[in-house]
Amino acid sequence: MQKFAPSVLVLALTAALAGCQDTGPQKEKVTIEKNPYPSTYKALPASTTLITNATVLTGTGERLDNADVYLVDGKISQVGIDLAVNADNTIDAQGKWVTPGIIDVHSHLGAYPSPAVESHQDGNEMINPNTAQVWVEHSVWPQDPGFNRAREGGITTLQILPGSANLFGGRSVTLKNVPAHTMQAMKFPAAPYGLKMACGENPKRVYGGKGVAPSTRMGNMAGYREAWVEASEYKRAWERYEQEYAAGMNPDAPKRDIKLDTLRGVLDGEILIHNHCYKAEEMAMMVDLGKEFNYHSGTFHHGIEAYKVADLLAENGNCAALWPDWWGFKMEAYDMVQENVAIVDAVKNSCAVVHSDSDTTIQRLNQEAGKVMYSANKNGFDISEEHAIQWITYNAAKSLGIADKTGSIEKGKQADVVIWDKSPFSVYAKAEHVYIDGAKVYDRNDEKYHAVSDFMLGQK
Amino acid sequence: MTKFKLSMITGALLASSAAFAQVTAITGATVHTATEQGTITNATVVIEDGKIKAINPQNMAADITVPAQGLVLTPGFIGSMNQLGLVEVGAVARSRDASDEKAGLDFDPSYAFNPRSSLIPYARKGGITQNVVAPINWDGVYSGLAFTADLSGDFESITDKHTALVIDLGARSKGSRALSFQQLVDKLEGQTAKLKKSEDKKEDKKADKPSGEERVLTQLLEAKLPLVIDVNRAADILQVIKLKTQFSLDVIIRGGSDAVLIADKIAQAKIPVIVSGVSNLPSDFDAMHASLENAGKLEKAGVKVLLSVFGDGSHNLYQLRYDAGIAVSNGMSFDNAIKAVTSNVADAFAIDGGKIAVGQRADLVLWSADPFELSTHVEKVWINGEEVSTQSRHDKLRDRYTTDSALPHAYTK
Repeated sequence: MQKFAPSVLVLALTAALAGCQDTGPQKEKVTIEKNPYPSTYKALPASTTLITNATVLTGTGERLDNADVYLVDGKISQVGIDLAVNADNTIDAQGKWVTPGIIDVHSHLGAYPSPAVESHQDGNEMINPNTAQVWVEHSVWPQDPGFNRAREGGITTLQILPGSANLFGGRSVTLKNVPAHTMQAMKFPAAPYGLKMACGENPKRVYGGKGVAPSTRMGNMAGYREAWVEASEYKRAWERYEQEYAAGMNPDAPKRDIKLDTLRGVLDGEILIHNHCYKAEEMAMMVDLGKEFNYHSGTFHHGIEAYKVADLLAENGNCAALWPDWWGFKMEAYDMVQENVAIVDAVKNSCAVVHSDSDTTIQRLNQEAGKVMYSANKNGFDISEEHAIQWITYNAAKSLGIADKTGSIEKGKQADVVIWDKSPFSVYAKAEHVYIDGAKVYDRNDEKYHAVSDFMLGQK
Repeated sequence: MTKFKLSMITGALLASSAAFAQVTAITGATVHTATEQGTITNATVVIEDGKIKAINPQNMAADITVPAQGLVLTPGFIGSMNQLGLVEVGAVARSRDASDEKAGLDFDPSYAFNPRSSLIPYARKGGITQNVVAPINWDGVYSGLAFTADLSGDFESITDKHTALVIDLGARSKGSRALSFQQLVDKLEGQTAKLKKSEDKKEDKKADKPSGEERVLTQLLEAKLPLVIDVNRAADILQVIKLKTQFSLDVIIRGGSDAVLIADKIAQAKIPVIVSGVSNLPSDFDAMHASLENAGKLEKAGVKVLLSVFGDGSHNLYQLRYDAGIAVSNGMSFDNAIKAVTSNVADAFAIDGGKIAVGQRADLVLWSADPFELSTHVEKVWINGEEVSTQSRHDKLRDRYTTDSALPHAYTK
């Protein structure tokens, strides 16, 4: 309290000098804590590591043969041929491949964990089409055995999203895939929050089925627009409050609303949109919706028909996070093409991402990307491994707003690295070593680095 | 009209010659036979009249020669336990025919099979040539009868109408699995008694016509119809082994997450196990031992393993070959993984196909390389001796949106 006192005094004086009508001392300023559940993540113990003679896919579109990667203090220190450095650990990776840690932008691990029993259905608050007030991090069970399986497949970073029943499903959280017993200890430091939105069949089925809006696609659009109108007013109210306070007045703070805090975060550019949206015409409208309310429409997830609007997505700077081949479970998933990712990717300034939305395929996101690469190359594309790896590393990091921190093997980046026993685009490929911030978190050949969930411990 | 008639006659003649006289020789391929012959390199396989006529014959006169040096020939892969041809779009009720609230254990979904489903040509891309189609009962015990169809897309593509009875004796969302077992035992005991009674009174010609359920139970008891039991927990599998022994049933286990704990007993009981190559999470308390290594461990214990695409195995059936590759990378032998998607499926369900041997049904797939590898693609597929396309509407959509045109895409066909 004492810390605040001088500034309050200064502000009060300023207000008096400015000749404001409210001459009384200002009430304490109301501010909104934007990070009430802060990350407590700490990298596991690490020593300097030199990986030598590997085929390195950098995540920036480059391939280096017989290259070395040097990890120091949790960061990538050097990448190159025959590095003349000393390390505590040197790994001869002759014949092996090295990639950035794999990033899945679409996971429900922890929120829909294994075992998938009644008590664990924590991923979707299906009580209202707008639940922007929920934060999926509050549902994450760090003991989900799926985190360990994903790590064994090279996943070092993942975004946990709420489900898609609601127009606004709530906040996402980005995690470092380290074993931990609190959510905060996994939370990716300084990663922006995301807001899950959903187009199409799911919201209208869930709410239409209950006889409430939305029951149609036009109802979906009306629901988004009404929410953004309300959020825009909320933002204006807070900005007015802040301006008046700064001007020395003594305004009453607007009533706090955690649902609108999240939507305002989007309008302020602090929270990124992650939009479950399958169809071409819906993605095109969601892009315009963003323009109508002055926010960026972010990443389209699932985007079965993204190939139909590839130009539009690239032009507007949208990432598209896609499956290689899921289809047919709903009408909006009927027009799948196996080259979807490749067609989206082929446009200049595009941001194609391969995602899982699955506790199974998250374990082989490398192979999911491989499927796309090979089916596209059979049908007229010419995509290299060093290019395709970006779909599950750099582009994924870009979608999550963390490309300055991870997603590529470049000097200064966080040392999130995977060593594969062969090309990661082989069905037989396995992650041998996984590093997060320079620390070994998985070693296929050393039981010491096989994490076991509390849930699995001692089961017979 | 006359003109048309003539061309129709010509067409008919051509078709009949194609179907009955044409000899196709596939030469020089590496052939994985899925039999005791194992792999034969640089082999010639001759097909005629829908059958494999010869392998490496001394003399050969073929109408069509398919040079296949450097390529790999396998039996067509056989999918199982999915709803191919019974569903078009999962969430569209009017396109679903795999389940019915009123269905009993004699439910026969083969009446609803749609060979024109868009899922069928798509599955052919994965080298699938036959499939055991199973009904579903979301939370009941008895799903009904599975049937077998080839993937030719022809109206006459059902190859076996009653392939197996499908039941679930695993965890229940409501009630107890104990009752499921108990009621099944009661049914089987009841039918056994009935059969004995009618045998004793053979002279009585006026015996009631058996009900559909009774006919199915009789076929089970005579081991003429395999019984697929969905079950995962070790203790439940042991109950299934007892059941098999007590009633001399032809049992196949599907799921079998815990099967590795009692693999020897399963091998001894000669029960084939249908597993997923990719299930490795404890999805419930029945699946605490799910692991990518299970297929290989069961194989090594002498269990006949069948690989199947779990989950939405209808739309994703083409992925069967990748699941097999993942099983191989986690300890299954390549040869047995080939069998697990071909001959083991054919043997367990007693269906024709799944092997490259003289006299076998000519369902064949020619691959660019290792059939399990992501970089490999299907070169050619033959079903019942006829070459079939691997193009689907997905290819049309891709081509439409990657072709430049001054007109809207709708004009690109």
